[in-house]
Amino acid sequence: MTDHLDALEAQSIYIFREAYRKFENLAMLYSIGKDSTTMIHLARKAFFGRIPFPLVHIDTNYKYPEMIAYRDRMAKEWDANLIVGQNREALAAGMGPDKGRLVCCEKLKTDGLSRIIEKHDFHGLFLGIRRDEEGSRAKERVFSPRDKNFEWAYKDQPPELWDQFNTNFAPGTHVRVHPILHWTELNIWEYIEREKIEICSLYFAKDGKRFRSLGCMPCTRPIESNAATVPEIIDELRTIKAPERAGRAQDQENAYAMQKLRAKGYM
Amino acid sequence: METNETGTSIGLRIVIVGHVDHGKSTLIGRLFYDTGSIPEVRYREIEATCKAQGRDFEFAYLMDALEEERDQNITIDTASTFFKTAKRPYVIIDAPGHKQFLKNMITGAAGADAAILLVDGAEGVREQTRRHAYVLSLLGIRQVIVAVNKLDSVGYDRATFHAVENDIRAFLHAVGIVPSFVIPISAREGENMAARLGHTPWYAGPTVLEALDTFDDAGVDDELPLRLPVQDVYMWDGRRIYAGRIESGSVRPGDPVIFQPSGKRTRIATVEKWGRPDLVTAGSGECVGVTTVDELFVERGEVIALADRLPVGAREIRASVFWLAENPLAAGKTYTLKLATAEVQATVVAIEERLDASTLEVVERNAASLHPAEVGTVLLSLKSDVAADRFEDNARLGRFVLEDGYHIGGGGIVRSLSDEAGIQGRRIDLERAFFDGDEGNLVDLSREGSDVEFDVSALFLDALSRGNRVLFRLRDASQVAPVARLAWSHSLGFEFARSGDRANIVLYAGKPPVTNPGGNGGGEISI
Ligand SMILES: Nc1nc2c(ncn2[C@@H]2O[C@H](COP(=O)(O)OP(=O)(O)O)[C@@H](O)[C@H]2O)c(=O)[nH]1
Ligand SMILES: [Mg+2]
Repeated sequence: MTDHLDALEAQSIYIFREAYRKFENLAMLYSIGKDSTTMIHLARKAFFGRIPFPLVHIDTNYKYPEMIAYRDRMAKEWDANLIVGQNREALAAGMGPDKGRLVCCEKLKTDGLSRIIEKHDFHGLFLGIRRDEEGSRAKERVFSPRDKNFEWAYKDQPPELWDQFNTNFAPGTHVRVHPILHWTELNIWEYIEREKIEICSLYFAKDGKRFRSLGCMPCTRPIESNAATVPEIIDELRTIKAPERAGRAQDQENAYAMQKLRAKGYM
Repeated sequence: METNETGTSIGLRIVIVGHVDHGKSTLIGRLFYDTGSIPEVRYREIEATCKAQGRDFEFAYLMDALEEERDQNITIDTASTFFKTAKRPYVIIDAPGHKQFLKNMITGAAGADAAILLVDGAEGVREQTRRHAYVLSLLGIRQVIVAVNKLDSVGYDRATFHAVENDIRAFLHAVGIVPSFVIPISAREGENMAARLGHTPWYAGPTVLEALDTFDDAGVDDELPLRLPVQDVYMWDGRRIYAGRIESGSVRPGDPVIFQPSGKRTRIATVEKWGRPDLVTAGSGECVGVTTVDELFVERGEVIALADRLPVGAREIRASVFWLAENPLAAGKTYTLKLATAEVQATVVAIEERLDASTLEVVERNAASLHPAEVGTVLLSLKSDVAADRFEDNARLGRFVLEDGYHIGGGGIVRSLSDEAGIQGRRIDLERAFFDGDEGNLVDLSREGSDVEFDVSALFLDALSRGNRVLFRLRDASQVAPVARLAWSHSLGFEFARSGDRANIVLYAGKPPVTNPGGNGGGEISI
């Protein structure tokens, strides 16, 4: 073990292997962002170059075209089994952020996800959330059960200690597994730099702006930045004071927006 | 814990424990504020929330981010956050103080490298203070700061501080913890947190931040014997890869290993990581894949160890157990015991002692059950062998959880264990000890029992016949017999010597040695 990135990587690999051993019908939620791309790289480390489960992308139809092009190219390169899900009914009925951001997230993302889980009968889902992103994520477990209605009982979470995770669940439960829960935003970028992981071009500054967090077009704003390379982004993050998700409108709706979304099954 | 060039690292993980309302969340908020780690926006958000509720700024709100907590003013779950000093980054785990939330506290504290135990200076040591202190000792956390808080509310009175200090030191002593520092503070005003504000001229010690910066990283266990529990077996590309994390020690190709508890022997062929064709050896904390020279059929749960330093294949475990689940731990009942990657049915033979975790008194002997938040000495009988160590010998293989139904119900640390025959038998490979040992021809038995057995090879006997001698460092005189048997069955000579508290035996072929065999830890060779 030589440095902190090795330690973080080892912990993620351990989590991946534990979940892979314990659950049948696993899938990984792929959001196209830097975190889930890093997560895929870690999965390949855990499984000696393979991705032994499908990737699921929930397409809200409001994503940047660069994101979709990048997604399809990378999936080929990784030789991954990519499943794209979309809540077509809701889209056909005109769902969009103009109907309210939280409702839109719930319909297009949360519902879109639960349909896919049901259709494929996934028992476990890898998610690239991190504790340092925002308050309710800080309280997550590595193995986090969701009941039949995909709800998160955050007040009554089973204990997790000494890397002994809860891997036995009542029928009907599905589990969310968080392999990079313990990473910070800065760690992710340091690791991207070290491992030379290719990420979506939207993260790099063009004309004085770049995206720090990727989402849907109507609800995601770029930040002012001239950081056009990974090392420049790392430098920028060392001094930045604003939170990472400041550009994500659904978080700003009210003080508890994210906790409410997440209790209902949001990522 | 090392800081790398870029000044960042995973961080030292600290857990903050103590009785409810003694100031844990406030202390964390203050640490964040004082180290400039609160994003401006968050700070203003909290300020606005406090103003809306018509109260002073509450640092505690920073951690208590969930809605219910703001309303009830208590910490429900364990949250992790991050801050940095000039020396290094920290990961803070805020542990809840309410009794029913003990399981969250343990979840938080189990991953910590160090702890801050908070005591309200005005209220003094309370039930949860003692209970949490005891849990820290059960979890094996040795780096502890005691912060005596809210001294502003008693006018920074020195005598009040010392009275609390004496109380808490006495209790910590009883659970085997020596606090690194006991610091008088006011989390709310910031006294002795990041700075000295001048209210405690009678205190000459470090501030909380200075004290944290003195702590070491979590011990690297490369020094301990190899323990590589098999996490999974992948049959890929026509190869059989054992995947696992090295919990202690290190491994390299060619190492003669034994899988415990099955006792299967082989040598390591390769040690692998994806994207690292250059990898030769791997050490503790690393997740690797290994392949072996011989095709074996080994399952998850077995532990790869070097032949001369094996974990016990335990059938019975005596442990200190803390119970967390609603349903009590019951004598006679069977649970799933998870230790490293092994899982086995474990029956509670007896709850030998039930302890009051806040007084450490034995409340009951041969108890019928352990209730939530209780601690006891429990004898467990395992349905099949599990490779384990005593906690004090190797914490990574000396701790386990018990699953009750679908949930982890409690945890424990191994105090003693016995194999099927009721003894801690160990086989020691003399060839390996002789040729590979760090110190050369020294066989260290000082951590073994009286029932050791030896594997003797032709190469080993040949080395002796060429005049080499082997020094056995004994734990006590009870180990003379096995060494004497070894000498008898291979027509070797031996000489016993005592030096101070140590007993040694020199084993040789042919004529007795000329030099004094007692003193220096072995290694001399007379040709
Ligand atoms: N006077 C005084 N009050 C404090 C201090 N630290 C915390 N408190 C108050 O004690 C109460 C409980 O604090 P909190 O941090 O929530 O305690 P926790 O339950 O241990 O997390 C809050 O009202 C705090 O404002 C201090 O240093 N001085
Ligand atoms: Mg609190």
